[in-house]
Amino acid sequence: MNMRRYGRVFREFFRACLVEEMEYRSEFFGNFIASFFGIAIALLTVHIFFYQTDRLGGWTYGEVLVLLGVFNTLRGFIDFALRPNMPRLLEHVRRGTLDYILTKPVDSMFYVSFRHLVFWRLIDVALGLGVIGYGLYVERYVPSAADVCMFLIVMVASLLLIYSLWMMLMTTSFWVVRIDDLSFIFDSFFDTARFPGSMYRGAVRLVITYILPAVLITNTPALALLGKWRVPTALAALAAAILFLWLARRFWRFALRFYTGAGG
Amino acid sequence: MIRKYIALLRMKYIEMLAYRLATFVWMTGAITQPLITMFVWMNIHPEESESFVFYFMAVIFVERMTSAWDVWELDREIREGTFSNWLLRPLHPIHWAIAENIVYKWLFAVILVPVWVAAAVFWPALRPHMTGSQVALFLTAVVFGAALRFLLSYSCGLLAFWVTKVAAVYGVIDVISLFLSGRIAPLEMLPPALREWSEWLPFRYMISFPIEIATGTADGGELARGFAIAAGWMMALIGALQWLWKAGMRKNQAVGG
Repeated sequence: MNMRRYGRVFREFFRACLVEEMEYRSEFFGNFIASFFGIAIALLTVHIFFYQTDRLGGWTYGEVLVLLGVFNTLRGFIDFALRPNMPRLLEHVRRGTLDYILTKPVDSMFYVSFRHLVFWRLIDVALGLGVIGYGLYVERYVPSAADVCMFLIVMVASLLLIYSLWMMLMTTSFWVVRIDDLSFIFDSFFDTARFPGSMYRGAVRLVITYILPAVLITNTPALALLGKWRVPTALAALAAAILFLWLARRFWRFALRFYTGAGG
Repeated sequence: MIRKYIALLRMKYIEMLAYRLATFVWMTGAITQPLITMFVWMNIHPEESESFVFYFMAVIFVERMTSAWDVWELDREIREGTFSNWLLRPLHPIHWAIAENIVYKWLFAVILVPVWVAAAVFWPALRPHMTGSQVALFLTAVVFGAALRFLLSYSCGLLAFWVTKVAAVYGVIDVISLFLSGRIAPLEMLPPALREWSEWLPFRYMISFPIEIATGTADGGELARGFAIAAGWMMALIGALQWLWKAGMRKNQAVGG
């Protein structure tokens, strides 16, 4: 695929959304406060848990903070690029305006997932990185270059996994047009990734580790940065990411066939 | 008044049936957060797992039974101006809201109670050990909680006459209540300072208090004190609501005129 061209299209999306957002500059301060409040609440929650214990699923306070930082960073990316597009696809399918997108000379899956971006959500990414830094400070651990490399690799795998899972959920909108917003389903599942996977028990643990890899998405990057990475785990994460991306792609194609069939 | 209410209830019931799927999805929505929190506490104190299971299942139940959504409705209607339609009708709009609450919570109870009973057959931790009077007190406390949350939500919604971002204001209140109503942790697990605050603020009486009655942690003097504080807050909120209503009506006319 010609990556250059898609890079240029993405830059155009970026520019168009930035112009749009500049019209609501006065909201920036309020949004900033809201993000700050959100992370403060998350920190207070962890603090309350650690008021009663010094380990959570075998993780120390500092380690859980690093995990929380990773979680917040990833959620910032979701809110930045993916979430704004979900209700719009539902709207397109319901009204039949998806036809216009299908006739455009760009890949339709690329278009429906990245057309709308909400920039101030990048504050959450920055705050997440801040919490990661604070967690490392509490833990008194300075990551080596290898740790950071591993962290970046598994972080890319996590982003791909999130994108694929989100895309699969979004694609179901071809059949479930009645609900305004499906993103709360993703949120319910992704919320489990806020804490160490070793904390869960029984069937829940199996499901969120192997079937819907919520645990893989946040825990592996956090562990990598804390120097507890293993090459097989990183490879497994990458393999899972590619597998899920392929599945999402197949599912999107299948849904498009369904859509064309119904519309024609 | 009773005849009017019967008519209102019937109307709201039909309305609810029209949006079955949305109602169902909406009911299952608030379940994951308490479940995750339950896992956290089971991990911190494994020896008390059974009581945490009971506690957080009760949180899900009481939270649904006392949930309030009027603030979103009022915020939207006042901002968009459709609220005026309600003012033209001969009945105070709050009665529509109350009827809607009764219908939805009745449905929640009709679905959730059998689910609980079925689960308790297989899962002994869910079997309640309550005397008759405890059950009566529990139900009374749930009604108190529902009334408190409804009044708070409705009063906040009326603020939309003055402020455009009422949803954000309510969001902050909701987060405070997350800690002080016992949703993040059973209140006895909180640091002492927060616990003391929770006694005097209304949030404890919205969710935690009924559960404390069910598990038997609150009894005797504690019980009487709890109901007294809850009743006090209820009076205060009713007063606030009436005042906001009157002031809001003046404000509304001023803008419309």
